[in-house]
Amino acid sequence: MSATRIERRRPLRKPGQLPLQIVLAFLVIYFLIPFWWVIVNSSKNSSGLFGGGSALWFATDIDYVENFRQLFTYGGGIYGRWLLNSALYAFLGGIGATVLAVLAGYGFAKYRFAGRRAAFSILLGAVMVPTTALVIPTFVLFSQAGLTNTIWAVVLPTLLNPFAVYLMHVYVRDAVPDELMDAARVDGAGEFRTFLQVALPLLRPAMVTVLLLSVVSSWNNYFLPLVMLSDNRLFPVTVGIGLWEGTASTYGAAGGESLWSIIILGSLVSVIPLIIAFLSLQRYWRGGLTIGSLK
Amino acid sequence: MKTRKVIAAAAALTIAAALAACSGGDGGGGGGGNDASNCTNKITKTDAPIVTLWAWYPNMELVVDNFNKDHDDVQVCWTNAGAGGDEYDKFQTAITAGTGAPDVVMVEGDRIAVYQIQDALVDISGYGYDDVKDNFSEGAWKDVSVGDGVFGAPIDGGPMAMIYRKDVFDQYGITPPTTWAEYETAAQTVKDAGGPLFGDFGANVPAAIMALLYQNGAEPFTYDPAGEGEIGINLNDDASKEVLDYWGGLVSKGLVGTQDQFTPEYISGVIAGDYATYISAAWAPGYLQGAGVGEGADADVWATAPLPQWDPDNPVDVNWGGSAFSVTSQAKDPELAAKVAFGVYADDASLRDGWENQIIFPLNVNVLNDPEFIDLEVGFFGGQQANKEVYVPAANGYTGMNYTPIGQFYYTAFTKQIAAINDGSATGSEAADALQDEVAAYATEQGFTVK
Amino acid sequence: MTTTIAATPRVRRRSKALRENAIAWLFVGPFGIVFLAMLILPLGFALYLSMFQKALIGGTRFVFLGNYAKAFTDPAFLDGVWFVVRFSLVLIPIQMAISLAIALILDIVTTRFARFARLMIFMPYAIPAVIGALMWGFLYSKNFGPIADFFAAFGATGPDFLSRGLIFYGLLNVVTWQWAGYYMIILFAALQAIDPTLYEAARIDGASQWQIILRIKIPLVAPALVLILVFALIGTLQFFNEPQILRELAAGAIPADFTPNMYAYEQAFQLANYNYGAAISFALGAVVFICVYIFMFATRKRGSFLS
Repeated sequence: MSATRIERRRPLRKPGQLPLQIVLAFLVIYFLIPFWWVIVNSSKNSSGLFGGGSALWFATDIDYVENFRQLFTYGGGIYGRWLLNSALYAFLGGIGATVLAVLAGYGFAKYRFAGRRAAFSILLGAVMVPTTALVIPTFVLFSQAGLTNTIWAVVLPTLLNPFAVYLMHVYVRDAVPDELMDAARVDGAGEFRTFLQVALPLLRPAMVTVLLLSVVSSWNNYFLPLVMLSDNRLFPVTVGIGLWEGTASTYGAAGGESLWSIIILGSLVSVIPLIIAFLSLQRYWRGGLTIGSLK
Repeated sequence: MKTRKVIAAAAALTIAAALAACSGGDGGGGGGGNDASNCTNKITKTDAPIVTLWAWYPNMELVVDNFNKDHDDVQVCWTNAGAGGDEYDKFQTAITAGTGAPDVVMVEGDRIAVYQIQDALVDISGYGYDDVKDNFSEGAWKDVSVGDGVFGAPIDGGPMAMIYRKDVFDQYGITPPTTWAEYETAAQTVKDAGGPLFGDFGANVPAAIMALLYQNGAEPFTYDPAGEGEIGINLNDDASKEVLDYWGGLVSKGLVGTQDQFTPEYISGVIAGDYATYISAAWAPGYLQGAGVGEGADADVWATAPLPQWDPDNPVDVNWGGSAFSVTSQAKDPELAAKVAFGVYADDASLRDGWENQIIFPLNVNVLNDPEFIDLEVGFFGGQQANKEVYVPAANGYTGMNYTPIGQFYYTAFTKQIAAINDGSATGSEAADALQDEVAAYATEQGFTVK
Repeated sequence: MTTTIAATPRVRRRSKALRENAIAWLFVGPFGIVFLAMLILPLGFALYLSMFQKALIGGTRFVFLGNYAKAFTDPAFLDGVWFVVRFSLVLIPIQMAISLAIALILDIVTTRFARFARLMIFMPYAIPAVIGALMWGFLYSKNFGPIADFFAAFGATGPDFLSRGLIFYGLLNVVTWQWAGYYMIILFAALQAIDPTLYEAARIDGASQWQIILRIKIPLVAPALVLILVFALIGTLQFFNEPQILRELAAGAIPADFTPNMYAYEQAFQLANYNYGAAISFALGAVVFICVYIFMFATRKRGSFLS
């Protein structure tokens, strides 16, 4: 193995790492194959898809334009609406969960109050409660309250993110020195001004991380909206694509059209926003993700 | 139940408080099915009362517009809540929740008993049924009836037949089999000559296989709501076992495939010529064509023939699929809803659009007797007069089936058993016995008396 | 609990404490309301629902713990639990080994390509499980999938990952693909945070690269490994999305009661039995909670997850 060689050159961290890079290359291929497949196959029509060409290369006629047109016009252009819904739910749920987590994490980290210990242990326990176990009773409660089939049915449950509170708690504890807060108080700042002007600016990386994590889990959510919504115009894009898949697999439902091409293109389009978000916010979340995994 | 209401009300209050705390409180509608503001279609006559409708026919927009144009006293507000299983899950959820169901819902015939037992559907025999009674055959009505009640307006059906590839049949010198014995012989001939699989036995089409059991004289369920919860379950009688053993044999001899149907995998197999026949129903050519089958070099290879029989002297016609419009018990005005159920997709223009584009095989006898429909040369079958030769006779010979109120459970359990047959872990007979035990136990648990 | 607050004079202590209590609850309160409404209340309601039995004929009646007695003798539920436990036992070690290995490689290799690789390996995390499962469902295809093409090139028949026999591995691959990158990033971040002077010191003592990995790096990222393990355990025991989507392609291989969560969904939303569905969810939740808590307790260390 190359271990000794690497070791000798370690301080410079320079080349000589070819075998490891080759391993990495194979890994990258494995992790990217599904993306490549989607990119290639969203250019095909149904005969191109199922007609026996290569799965990982383009068919003779590349049909992106036609598929895009179909994707955004099929069913009265419902796909665009689904994308907007996903964005709305992710935005509301993500922002809401982040705000709640920042407030609560700060409260837990910086105040010794009656009931703190008990509340914090319950919170830690809640991190381990499987959220899907809550879907059935929440659905029944919401339906009694007339909330099912409204956007609140999707947004309200996503506000609950005990893990985000825990993350913020850890981060606040380590990143906001008490001395700084005391200095602000001595200067006459109230508790909320201290929070807004002293603590908040220090918490930016953690806030971006928590926001991204909440947005991702909300954008990718399937079970909850599947159960809560019956009006397809309220669907997020995950449930919408699931609906199309069901339609394509039911006789007499798709009519003379093959939905598989737009299902594949729709899948591709639906993942682009999050990928862009991750790439552009790299700086922030890379630092933030260490929270909770370190001491 | 009272305490439950109280708890639910308390819970609702808490949630409402939480809502108000973080949003300023927009209560939202009271559940989507009844909410007329979310129609997919445009309603122009805004002062007429509204009836909400869930349906997944692909030409539904046109059908609804036709209806709304013809009516001033009622307007239809239509949504597509999903096709088949997806819609059933949503409807079932709305039933249990007691809110959120539409006024009229599209269901397949085999689901009607499932919802009827939950009092989720309205008996529409008193709401204009007599006016349209003669438009449908007895078999069509039987499929939408439970006991003496009529719980749906029939729209389309799926008389079963055997679709086959002429080129494969010609190549191996076989003619369309008329009996199941001939079907197996032909399958063996093709296999011995190195040809493709002859058919497919998919685990995800229990409804089709139930129809095949029926064809051999099996009567899986007998149920009458007047019978005080009595239900007859006969899933392991000789007729059922014979059919399941027959297909299990075809599978183990490698004569037919075991692929789930309606999947991309199956479709690509059909396009690639992996299957010489497709035991299916009258809606199949439309479905296959939409999925890209029969294009290019394969343009004229498909044909259709009557379903093979167990006893050619006493042929039995069976049905797979086809849907009806039912009025739900959450409908605000059941009589008005029934008018919609009977009236939507019943006008000539809509029906014509349906059959000309091969979206539906209509059950309306006016269409079935229409020479233009009968003589239609179906493009998918290379101009074969499929309706005249195969589907219309099959539809006319169909006398209806008895469906079961525990159909959802039955299909799920049946799918498991078919999968067991397909991977060789059970014979057809063993699967039938296991199915009988499982379904009977469930029925007992649900409070039925199993006969 | 390491938090400390500045010492205050005794006289003002009481009023200060009261005021601080009030302010603290203003910070914690909004989350507290959501917590009560979206977690405690539904859990309590699920427990309540689960104590009734509902039949199509005869209606609803109180059975106390009858549904739980039924669940723990119900082969469909037990098979599901057995499946997710088996799946966790295979999945979690593989997933952790892969993500740790990648993180260690990326900690050593610092080229541009390595940075690119890091992002690409992380990318599946941003993909909805529904769409990941759909993509792999296509890739597994015997007729038009690349795996089949690959084997066909050698004149062999490829494995059918959507068949009853191999669906276990098919799902294993989907989940590993989806999550390994996320775990890798957490581990990588933890590795990067290690003080490099530790390596220098070790090298001066004559430690090899392997020894550094085994004696320094892995022990120091142990808290992160525990965190990942807990995540993976919670996620896998409530497995739902991937099999539910792949079911459309392989109904024969994935029955409706494949995992406990799918079974709960089937009972509640397809068979109109909220009560039994709630009992299954609650039983599953209890199993997960107990498993994780026992595990956390067993691996508890100063400064780890449960600080």
